[in-house]
Amino acid sequence: MAAVKQTVEQVQGLEKYKHGFSSDIEQDFAPKGLNADIVRFISAKKNEPQWMLDSRLDAFERWLAMDEPDWAKVNFPRIDYQDSYYYAAPKEKVGIASLDEVDPEILEVYKKLGIPLKEQEVLAGVVGSPRYAVDAVFDSVSVVTTFKKELAQVGVIFCSMSEAIREHPELVKQYLGSVVPVSDNYFACLNAAVFSDGSFVYVPPGVRCPMELSTYFRINAENSGQFERTLIIADKGSYVSYLEGCTAPMRDENQLHAAVVELVTMDDAEIKYSTVQNWYPGDPETGKGGIYNFVTKRADCRGDRSKVSWTQVETGSSITWKYPSCVLRGEGSSGEFYSIAITNGRQQADTGTKMIHLGANTRSRIISKGISAGRSSNTYRGLVSAHPKAKGARNFTQCDSLLIGKHCAAHTVPYIEARNGQAKFEHEATTTRLSEDQLFYAMQRGLSQEEAVQLLVNGFVKDVLQELPMEFAVEAQKLVAISLEGSVG
Amino acid sequence: MLSVSNLHATVDGKPILKGLTLDVPAGEVHAIMGPNGAGKSTLSYVLTGRQGYDVTEGGATLDGEDLLALEANERAAKGVFLSFQYPLEIPGVPALTFIRTALNAQKKSRGEPEITAPAFLKLAREKAAALKIDFEMLKRALNVGFSGGEKKRMEIFQMAMLSPRFLILDETDSGLDIDALRIVSEGVNAMRSPDRAMLVITHYQRLLDYIKPDRVHVLAGGRIVASGGPELALELERDGYDRYAKAA
Amino acid sequence: MSVAAAIRTRDVGELPSRRDEDWRWTDLRGLIRVLPDASEAFTGTLSPGPFDRLAADHHVLVNGGDARIDVAAGKKTLVALRLVSRGVGAHASRVTINLGAGARLRLLESYESDGASVCQTALTITLAEGAALERIVLAQDHEDAVSVSQAEVRLSPTADFGQTIVASGARRQRLETRVVHPGGRASARMDGVYLVADKRHTDHTTVVTHEGVDGTTSQLIKGVARDQARAVFQGKIIVSEGADRTDARMGHHALILSDRAEVDAKPELEIYADDVSCAHGNTVGAMDEDALFYARQRGIPEPEARAMLTEAFIGQVIDRIWFEDARKVVRKWAAERLRV
Repeated sequence: MAAVKQTVEQVQGLEKYKHGFSSDIEQDFAPKGLNADIVRFISAKKNEPQWMLDSRLDAFERWLAMDEPDWAKVNFPRIDYQDSYYYAAPKEKVGIASLDEVDPEILEVYKKLGIPLKEQEVLAGVVGSPRYAVDAVFDSVSVVTTFKKELAQVGVIFCSMSEAIREHPELVKQYLGSVVPVSDNYFACLNAAVFSDGSFVYVPPGVRCPMELSTYFRINAENSGQFERTLIIADKGSYVSYLEGCTAPMRDENQLHAAVVELVTMDDAEIKYSTVQNWYPGDPETGKGGIYNFVTKRADCRGDRSKVSWTQVETGSSITWKYPSCVLRGEGSSGEFYSIAITNGRQQADTGTKMIHLGANTRSRIISKGISAGRSSNTYRGLVSAHPKAKGARNFTQCDSLLIGKHCAAHTVPYIEARNGQAKFEHEATTTRLSEDQLFYAMQRGLSQEEAVQLLVNGFVKDVLQELPMEFAVEAQKLVAISLEGSVG
Repeated sequence: MLSVSNLHATVDGKPILKGLTLDVPAGEVHAIMGPNGAGKSTLSYVLTGRQGYDVTEGGATLDGEDLLALEANERAAKGVFLSFQYPLEIPGVPALTFIRTALNAQKKSRGEPEITAPAFLKLAREKAAALKIDFEMLKRALNVGFSGGEKKRMEIFQMAMLSPRFLILDETDSGLDIDALRIVSEGVNAMRSPDRAMLVITHYQRLLDYIKPDRVHVLAGGRIVASGGPELALELERDGYDRYAKAA
Repeated sequence: MSVAAAIRTRDVGELPSRRDEDWRWTDLRGLIRVLPDASEAFTGTLSPGPFDRLAADHHVLVNGGDARIDVAAGKKTLVALRLVSRGVGAHASRVTINLGAGARLRLLESYESDGASVCQTALTITLAEGAALERIVLAQDHEDAVSVSQAEVRLSPTADFGQTIVASGARRQRLETRVVHPGGRASARMDGVYLVADKRHTDHTTVVTHEGVDGTTSQLIKGVARDQARAVFQGKIIVSEGADRTDARMGHHALILSDRAEVDAKPELEIYADDVSCAHGNTVGAMDEDALFYARQRGIPEPEARAMLTEAFIGQVIDRIWFEDARKVVRKWAAERLRV
């Protein structure tokens, strides 16, 4: 029962939201509100070329003409888009050359979050332990990216989006917005106008990226939104595994996080994209505060036999609206979606995936585990479609919901569109509560109720946890434990 | 009876059979043994006309008639019966309905009159009793919820009902306990006759204790690499397939 | 906004469109530019309906009208209800059905159109405690018809409701059932079969709302789409807060037998109670090639093997019909449409 013991110790050692601290860091803000001048301000702050500014202004124009979507099963007061800061950045000396020049307060934040920014710290770890390169995004800007040189030696570009726009304009021009077009949806369009920072990855043909790449997003400033933009391109026959983690301080106001992530895979390429999302979920009793997490993530499997695998552990945010998707264009390409979504307190999540089968013999697999507790609401929403040319397309979907407590809600809303006679789709879904018999059985063997819940929940989500890279899986398991604290009894 | 010459076949474009030659005269029982992946099941599917098993070279005839030119059901009507390694479940179709439909379709194809309902039921009762099959089971959807052993027994029952001329038994012993194996083997042996022939495909020698073969062939790498009398099976049981795997 | 209102006012703006979530795959607004004139009264003689032989009591509405079926407490009856459309006009019908405590009704309902009509039928069905209703529907519409049937069913505790809707499609055909389920050991069976060919369309939409403890719902929908036909299944089960010990199962399984047919499905669960057991399964695909080969290896020619397997596939729904005589009619009806 070593696993149980470990779980118990984790639970005891953790506060409710351990990332809820905020830091006093000297910040640069754009004036509050949103208009074309703010868009120009952001672009100017980032020293962007004219084409990027033009593209932002165009997006802003389109966004003004769009309506906020209302089809998701989430309820929240209308967002006042003028009551937020669209750019917040730690004050910095121009052009940071090394980590020593980064504000020590920021380094302290990342230290508290347990994220290694100093390469030697990573290297000083246990011999043989996996290394991973980090891009740290603090509010609107990337403060540091590690291991860039080592990655450059094999041709992998890993940098902030701002840097990519300056240093690799040809790649950015070619791919940015090619997966998620500017006016794809309301939040993506807003992002295209005001996006701040995010990561850019390019893996050249035939290269297997030698280490895990990761980005840690941190919202620190009050009343600010974060609009990160990430673009990953895996060229022919390449492979990359990318992780992102997200945290924010506890604040009473809602903060908007409207990110866009675009993935492109060429022939025989593979991207594994993992997320542990732990934005501040708001006050569990009153529902006050917390992040509005409105994210558009999409992969374009352009190449034949290419593959994208999304794995997400969603435990934070007061509202989540997120559907990491795969457009399976290349012949024989495949998409996977593994998800754990946990809601507690007053959280609302509407999340799932879209698997769009366009090419012949494309494959997709969806495993979704939703857990609702407290007074929360958790919706799986997914689309699987096969177009007439997608002969031999296959999908398997397993979608399970677990309810803990009398006042929570779990919904399953799958859309299935089969447009040819040679596609085969299978979908299974269950909704159950935590089994009292199993709970009793575990407690009869000496576990406390909380421990028993942990044990059963870990079993429920196991299929997805094992898809995560090892070090993330441990973190995710801890998160599951904290997220459900106090949900029974 | 069956004559296979220089047969080459691919599955999903991958060559599996690479020049297989085999003759099974009427009245004889031949065993095909071989390591996993040698092409044993492929041979049974190629002979019975399963889609996706493409013959690229060579041929197969039954009493001189080209088998490969025929549809799967036409081959069945000519008397080719395959006892599946993994019999399919057919939800919603009672076993008796299924077998009667098949029997009449075969008769029609051969220009024979259909069997009457009473005659069919009489025959079914007779054959079921011989195979110790509960008649009630025949009213249930074919193979749905049946155990592995029951499914195999149902294959032999269909064989007895359809009375084919050329029988292919694909790993019929797998999943059978010793009692079931005896019943199934007795059913098969009861079918032996001078105008019938059988191809018994098996990985293990055990089945051949019950169904005695006249000849034993070793299939490896998509070809028959050795042939001999029943003693060859015992030798294989003792020495394994390593020698032949290398030869292939 | 409703189809009935559109027919009444002849305002196409009242028609539901793809922007309405419930109608995303059955867009009437985009289809109908102008609503036809109101249907004329029908004076000729009708050909027999599909259930004529079985029922003693007949209600026939031709080109609209109202009907009322009351079954007094403790009584048992068998009724054929025909909703007939003759010609190319537009019309709406209303049917009210009340079952008293412990009453039993077998309702044999049919939709029969013979041209490019636009019609809507609203059924209001109420079951008192211990009442039992089996509703068997054959929707045999014309290929040019737009046919919408919308039933609102309200159950009382310990009532049993079972329905099997069998449909062959139309230009647009929508068969909608909304059940308010009180729990209390009441049960609902919400079955359906669709067999669509050519360019026909059919839409089975059901919503069951569990409002109290100890309710069961079981649903099995199976369909076959061929040629360029399109079938839609939208099934929603809502379990309200406090509706504990609800047991709800939903299954939708479709065969697509051509390269250009389409099946769209949305099997939805909306759960606000924790002590529940709900599940749905959905499969869409071609016929099982292995089973087909198995049948052919036994000597059954391909068209016959396909017909046998599709009939068996559909038969699993038809077998769930309680009323044996109706089961036979439905089985024959389905077989005629499968053996083409």
